[in-house]
Amino acid sequence: MWEKKKRKVWPTVVASTMLMGLLAACGSNTDTAKSDAKGNSDQAGAGASSGKVVTVHMIESLTSPKRTDILKAMISQFEKENPNIKVDLISPPFDQADNKIRTMLAAKQELDVLEVRDLNIAEYVNNGYIDPLDTYTGTWKDFSTVTAVAKSIATNNNKLYFIPNGLYQRQLFYRKDWFEEKGLKPPVSYQELYETGKKLTDSAKNRYGFSFRGGMGSAGITDQMVLAYNGDQVNLEDAQFLKSGNTIYSSPEAKEAIELYMKIYKEASPSDAVNWGFQEQVQAFTSGVTGMLLQDPDVIQTIQEKMKPEQWATAPMPTGPNGKALIQAGGAGWGIASQSKNKEAAFKLIAFLSNPEQNTEFGKKYGLVPIHTTAANDEYFKTGPYKTLLDMSNKPDVFMNYKPPFQYPGTGQWNQASMESGQAYLLGKFTVVDVLKKWDAYWMDQKSKKK
Amino acid sequence: MKTRLQFIGPFKVFFLALHLVIMVFPLYWILITSLKPQNEIFTYPLKYWPTNITFDNYINIFKISKFHVYIGNSLLVAISSALIVIVISVLSAYVLARFQFRGHRQIMLAFFATQMLPGFISLGPLYLMMTQLDLINSRIALVLMYTVGLIPFSTIILRGFFQRIPASLEEAAMIDGCSRLVALIRIIVPIMMPGIASTFIFAFVQNWNELFMAVMFIDHDLLKTMPVALNSLILKYDVDWGAMSAGTVLSVIPTVFLFAFAQRFIVEGLTQGAVKG
Amino acid sequence: MKSRQPFILFGLLPALLLVLIFTYYPFLKGGIMAFQEYKLFDLRNVHFVGLQNFRDAFKDPKFLTALQNSAYWVFFSLVFQFLIGLTLALLMNKKFRGRGIYQGLVFYSWALSGFLIGMIWKWMFNSQIGVINDLLLKTGIIETRIGFLSDPKWAMISVIIANVWYGIAFFAIMLLAALQSVPSELYEAAEMDGASEARKLISVTLPYILPTIITTTLLRVIWIFNDPTIIYGMTNGGPAGSTHILSSLMLDKIIYAGDYGAASAIGVVMIVLLLLYTLFYLSVTKSEKMGDF
Repeated sequence: MWEKKKRKVWPTVVASTMLMGLLAACGSNTDTAKSDAKGNSDQAGAGASSGKVVTVHMIESLTSPKRTDILKAMISQFEKENPNIKVDLISPPFDQADNKIRTMLAAKQELDVLEVRDLNIAEYVNNGYIDPLDTYTGTWKDFSTVTAVAKSIATNNNKLYFIPNGLYQRQLFYRKDWFEEKGLKPPVSYQELYETGKKLTDSAKNRYGFSFRGGMGSAGITDQMVLAYNGDQVNLEDAQFLKSGNTIYSSPEAKEAIELYMKIYKEASPSDAVNWGFQEQVQAFTSGVTGMLLQDPDVIQTIQEKMKPEQWATAPMPTGPNGKALIQAGGAGWGIASQSKNKEAAFKLIAFLSNPEQNTEFGKKYGLVPIHTTAANDEYFKTGPYKTLLDMSNKPDVFMNYKPPFQYPGTGQWNQASMESGQAYLLGKFTVVDVLKKWDAYWMDQKSKKK
Repeated sequence: MKTRLQFIGPFKVFFLALHLVIMVFPLYWILITSLKPQNEIFTYPLKYWPTNITFDNYINIFKISKFHVYIGNSLLVAISSALIVIVISVLSAYVLARFQFRGHRQIMLAFFATQMLPGFISLGPLYLMMTQLDLINSRIALVLMYTVGLIPFSTIILRGFFQRIPASLEEAAMIDGCSRLVALIRIIVPIMMPGIASTFIFAFVQNWNELFMAVMFIDHDLLKTMPVALNSLILKYDVDWGAMSAGTVLSVIPTVFLFAFAQRFIVEGLTQGAVKG
Repeated sequence: MKSRQPFILFGLLPALLLVLIFTYYPFLKGGIMAFQEYKLFDLRNVHFVGLQNFRDAFKDPKFLTALQNSAYWVFFSLVFQFLIGLTLALLMNKKFRGRGIYQGLVFYSWALSGFLIGMIWKWMFNSQIGVINDLLLKTGIIETRIGFLSDPKWAMISVIIANVWYGIAFFAIMLLAALQSVPSELYEAAEMDGASEARKLISVTLPYILPTIITTTLLRVIWIFNDPTIIYGMTNGGPAGSTHILSSLMLDKIIYAGDYGAASAIGVVMIVLLLLYTLFYLSVTKSEKMGDF
């Protein structure tokens, strides 16, 4: 039936183009524009002359023009080494990338390698969109040096689904010059962060203590605080829940944490920040509006570009009242689409992008922690802003690693749900009890749905 | 009456001047933002006059992302689609203006109703259709989609123009042995030029600015259009305001140029169609 | 007239076929999703759920806020766009030096995309480094910064301001053209009767351009109601969903949640509202022939 429609449409277009010629011939229209747009739909493989050239279609999610350039350089090196594989990189705008990837997968568009995020691994696995990589990693020589943390974020139901292209880990960035000026030390706990933030705040000068984040991704801060306050009670293997089986939002400690969260917002942050997401939060820090920022290492690039070295430094994540902080590694990486027809070539590409040399280079250029143990010996990651991350991993009793709830399909929607009730709370539409109830209900529901 | 006019004078000048400032200021602000060096864009206090003019932002958008390619694609897609829209709509508008037949009213209604459909509902099914037609990743898909989206409105507008032109004109030509089509093209279209030009501009502007379909249907970097490139400047951590401003300035140029060029046509054109249709 | 048949077909077929195949067919397919559980991240679980999506929508405070916001958004945008546009058109009707250049400078906004306009105003409304706060502080109009886009009290006003800024040109262009076509004899006759300027405006000008006003407002309402791009660029519906209108909420459901069922249900509600509005509008203004619809 599709063929029929196709035949109906094209004559129309052709007819109109011919008519266009007729119009032009009438002399009334001297437009020199080309009348027909011939898109080169770049279908390599269709009519490739040299035997068996395979095209691998690859799509990224966390796009930025700069990162795309870095990837392209890596890819062209790969193509040089593998002349029979051509890579077609698709880079949708970051804001719409995940939607586009979902749509392509749902429509079974040609796709071989895709960037899977820790947030949507469960979603893709549940839909059968991506293949486990365990069969491939068995024969991959560099697999032995991939860190346990990197493997754990890419694992779902005991199978590995992607090879991370680097790890994110939160730390505290602060304005060294402001702190020195006021004789302050970087805060160790959230309580101190609040007190320090208050001291830094001077709205007349348009200066605030904390780069608060109430918009997209606010769960990053609220959940971190709730986890730190619950401390040892948290089930590290299933970290939306306590060892008792209740959610982390059900405890009195959670209430304490969320009350402090409000105080930080009201007294140490710009009121505008109820709406801030990544961009505003980082912009405020780099442009000298705020003095402290909790973020992943991939902002280091941006910060280095926009600030002088003496203006900023890093410190470990703040802790809860019992001196514990729960930290997690996050990340995204390359997986293979189930519908791929070139899985061997696809893994070849993934293995190349993930080898220690390429991966470490990517980490340096883009601001990520590399995934191979060998990179830990690299001087670059022992100094400057990366040193803090290393320090944290050397104190596992204070900075306890937990496994985020990536095995729950609802994880992908959690950010949105958490933000909406969180904003309602900040704006005074919800009480602290309301907001915790909402969050508690969300995860109890997730738990009951998960077989 | 005289006294009233004297009162109207200052009011008129004041209103027109105020309006000018309000309309032009955002463009001015974007322009000077685009000429500021990266580190000055966020410095406080704000600078209302660029002291260190730099073209870095412009150089960057051509270097980091291939803006010349995107502008080219946008022009190609927007112009081709607008031309095809004109051809198809002139025909349908002419038929709907000159003939009465069964289903005439229903067709007019069907065209009018398309204006109410929220386009995003169709995006998923359209993506599937384009996949099956093997048109994903080709600019033809965009030309086709944009054209279809504009046909109804253009038909309604152009029909209004045809109704103003006496049918006796082409009938005279047909007595001389011309076919109806030739009469339409030779006699009527030249008279209709203002209406056609303004419809063309309307179509061009719509196409030039379309974002969501362009993101969906185009994967390949070299086929991307301008709005997609601008949307790509919203990064995970940052909006690259320098590049965004430079890109915005560049994207305004063709439309402003076109506007200036066809000012007379537009003003006459669009309303005369609207008065009746 | 048999001989006309081929020409009618030839003239209409391209337009009709294209619109049927690429507008109505996908729209119907999309519309069906309104009655389905249809989530892109859970495609193995697509099934008919009757009116569940509609029930969910009307229970969702976000949807109800968006419904209310849509009314504000359309009403205030339209009223200000129209009034300022009309005033501008009346003032520009008489030739003055530099009118051509003036037109170019005040009409260009119409040629920008909603997304870009959203971005531009987001940039200017930014409470820390935004130029609008800076100007208001400098001139002493305000003492403390206003969170134009973060304070729910202001956010909706701010997006409407941007939308008005964008839409004035449309009305001004349309109405100016209509004014230019008013026959001068009518004015001359009115002056013979000694009519004042105001009198002329009310009894000559406005009646003559009424059809244009009706057509433009009808279409404009539909477009304003359906176009989420300014809001997408400016606030993405925030803070806390307080600036979502129905169409931006629908976009949000698609882009960020992949929930086509919920999105289509919102779309169906939108169409029903627009149909009711159009019928009502056309019956109220039936004195005018609207291109014999």
